[in-house]
Amino acid sequence: MISWEVLGAWISAALVVWIYSFAYRDNALYKLAEHIFLGTAAGYSIALALDSLNRVLIRPAVTTPGTFWATSWHYVIPVVLGLLMFAKYSRRYYWLARYAVAVNLAVGTGLALRAVPVANIVRQITATILPLWGSDPVKVVNNWLMVLITVGGLTYFLFTIFPRRVEGAPPSPTYQVYRALYYIGIYGMMVGFGALFANTIMTRVGFLISIYLIYLQPQVWASIVAAILAAIAIVLGALRKR
Amino acid sequence: MSLVVRKYVPQIIISAIIVATVAFYYLYISKEVAGAFSTADKALSDWAVIITSFALIVGGIDILRFHVLRIKREGLAQAPFSTVTIALLITMVVFGVIGWYYSYADPKAGITITTQPQFRWLYTNVYAPSDAAVYSILVFYIASASYRAFRVRNPMALLLLITAVIIMFGNTTIGGLIWPGFLSLRDWIMTVPNTAAFRPITIGAGLGTIVLGLRLLTWREVSWMGRRE
Amino acid sequence: MSGRISLGRVLESRELLYTLLLLSVILPLLHPIGIPIEISVRTRDVYNYVEKLKPGCHVYIEVYYEVAARGELEPNLIALTKHLFDKGCRIVYGSLSAFGVVAFSLFRASAADLFADKVYGRDYVYLGYIAGGEAATASLAKSIKGTISVDNYGNRLEDLPLMKEVDKATDFDLVVIVSSGTDVFAYYVRQWHTPYGVPLLFVALSVIGPSIEPFVGAKQAIGMLVGQRAAAEYEVLVGRLGLGMASMDAQSTSHMLILAFIVIGNVVYWSKRLSSRRGGAR
Repeated sequence: MISWEVLGAWISAALVVWIYSFAYRDNALYKLAEHIFLGTAAGYSIALALDSLNRVLIRPAVTTPGTFWATSWHYVIPVVLGLLMFAKYSRRYYWLARYAVAVNLAVGTGLALRAVPVANIVRQITATILPLWGSDPVKVVNNWLMVLITVGGLTYFLFTIFPRRVEGAPPSPTYQVYRALYYIGIYGMMVGFGALFANTIMTRVGFLISIYLIYLQPQVWASIVAAILAAIAIVLGALRKR
Repeated sequence: MSLVVRKYVPQIIISAIIVATVAFYYLYISKEVAGAFSTADKALSDWAVIITSFALIVGGIDILRFHVLRIKREGLAQAPFSTVTIALLITMVVFGVIGWYYSYADPKAGITITTQPQFRWLYTNVYAPSDAAVYSILVFYIASASYRAFRVRNPMALLLLITAVIIMFGNTTIGGLIWPGFLSLRDWIMTVPNTAAFRPITIGAGLGTIVLGLRLLTWREVSWMGRRE
Repeated sequence: MSGRISLGRVLESRELLYTLLLLSVILPLLHPIGIPIEISVRTRDVYNYVEKLKPGCHVYIEVYYEVAARGELEPNLIALTKHLFDKGCRIVYGSLSAFGVVAFSLFRASAADLFADKVYGRDYVYLGYIAGGEAATASLAKSIKGTISVDNYGNRLEDLPLMKEVDKATDFDLVVIVSSGTDVFAYYVRQWHTPYGVPLLFVALSVIGPSIEPFVGAKQAIGMLVGQRAAAEYEVLVGRLGLGMASMDAQSTSHMLILAFIVIGNVVYWSKRLSSRRGGAR
């Protein structure tokens, strides 16, 4: 008798192979795996939403009703608003869902709005105000790079009103400084994107390694069979292109 | 009147809550008022926590509706696939609800929504591997792109390539065999030029959030309403 | 002639690239090369910070990654958990994402040995999933017990000894965010660090690392562990080798292969470009 654990391992491996078959070409097994993923993910999401709702609201209301109604009576409001979300399916009362969206959006925006000026702006600016002269040459070079690339990036992204250059006349100092910062910004970003690209490879290969180690098990013979299948795919791919 | 309840009241709610949330944080009148503000602030956050749960349920139901409509519209070609999605979605929810029921009916058994055995089996053996495989398949396209698209056409692309190569050597152990300095060079790139390059983006994201907040506050942002009035 | 064309086609086919990539990953996993690893200054800094934590300290760990990211983040989480337990810290785990529950369940199974002598409720607690994103982060910072009443397994938080010691953001000596997304790092910076000054430690996917570096640079986090490389280094430091270290050889070979693809791609591109220029001149 096959155990649930073994069956689970086979299903996991089959799903991985079916999904990977998309790398060769789109096919029915990939589509099936994709729909299986979608169904479980959506069902999982609903169940976990219920779980969160249960632990935040229903459980305290049922187990300790006295304390709940004394301190958390106002939870009635978000429950009513949450239920109003289902009004979006109505052609006539669709607008009722806006009340719930409005509260959620406003709370999220308000929370972000009050901390963003410090977290994203002030702290970033103060971290860029660095001494540009000193006894340690390495530190000085680093500080110059930090300041120039940051200001250059800001010039590229935010201060987007480029100074005009008068036809025929030599470029003004403002124009030259602006242009230099603009290019420093671009080249700085190229360094950032290079780092991002290299790290993307690390992540994606990491995903592949974990799939192989966790779901496919490193078996020599299984890997040889996979290599033969891949070789067939190469030949078929080459023939298809001809 | 109808336009008032359909459009203006939700907008007034948005403005009022944004002003209140910011005021609760920055405004200090007295210790008692600060305590009351803190309680009200927490209550508002909890409201959002509860409403988000409902929103997630609505999102799941949207997927269900979409696939029912697809079966109707596209017929037999799509029916087997959409049926699988619908069946699995319902199965997951049913097992979750069974777990939920047992958490009340027999609390000592320790079964909850997330620990219900069949629910757990499904997410461990079906959801988890398919999620992992779907995201990891991108590695093949990265390999393909590095051969076909990563071309040094100008000095900027050259700088990008040089940085990428240094980071790649710094990230891997083989880089250390070739030249031990790759690791510290990688750390320097990450902490100096890379940090400086992403700092304007972080500041820009902050400014974007502020602008979005102000647009919502002043009723200029209406896309969240879905359809226009 | 046709044989030459088909060979060229085979060499240019994406299936060959994919197969070579698979081989470059699989072969070193089957037969490890054992390239030694050097510990970076940044990983050692994080290690030293944790090393200075006092026995009985409280740490909050946000488990926010989908299963796909397990290979990069789980080894980091395991190594950090071992280090924190070794230092006598008590850990509260929580998830602001639904998939965090699966990730935690798989992590708990992979690191069963670390939890063997630990008592649930006294040494560690898993809060489970809390919906709401940034709102939930703000709410938890004020009061965990005021936000949810029971943990992931249905235990009342008030009955758990560890939860009697901690409730709000300032009760924690360190907050670790293990995430495969960018947003959650910003949530904690905005709602835990900015108002309460709680020390944060980022554990990020390699691909996320560069974009959240400004927060670390501005000292809004005490440090960052990025991807499998940092995991491998941390595994060496805490003396428990796992998936991070096991992946390093395969990472090296696959990176070298991708580097070869880039070089060959550019050689082909430039030879075609130069020959077409020469052709044009004629």
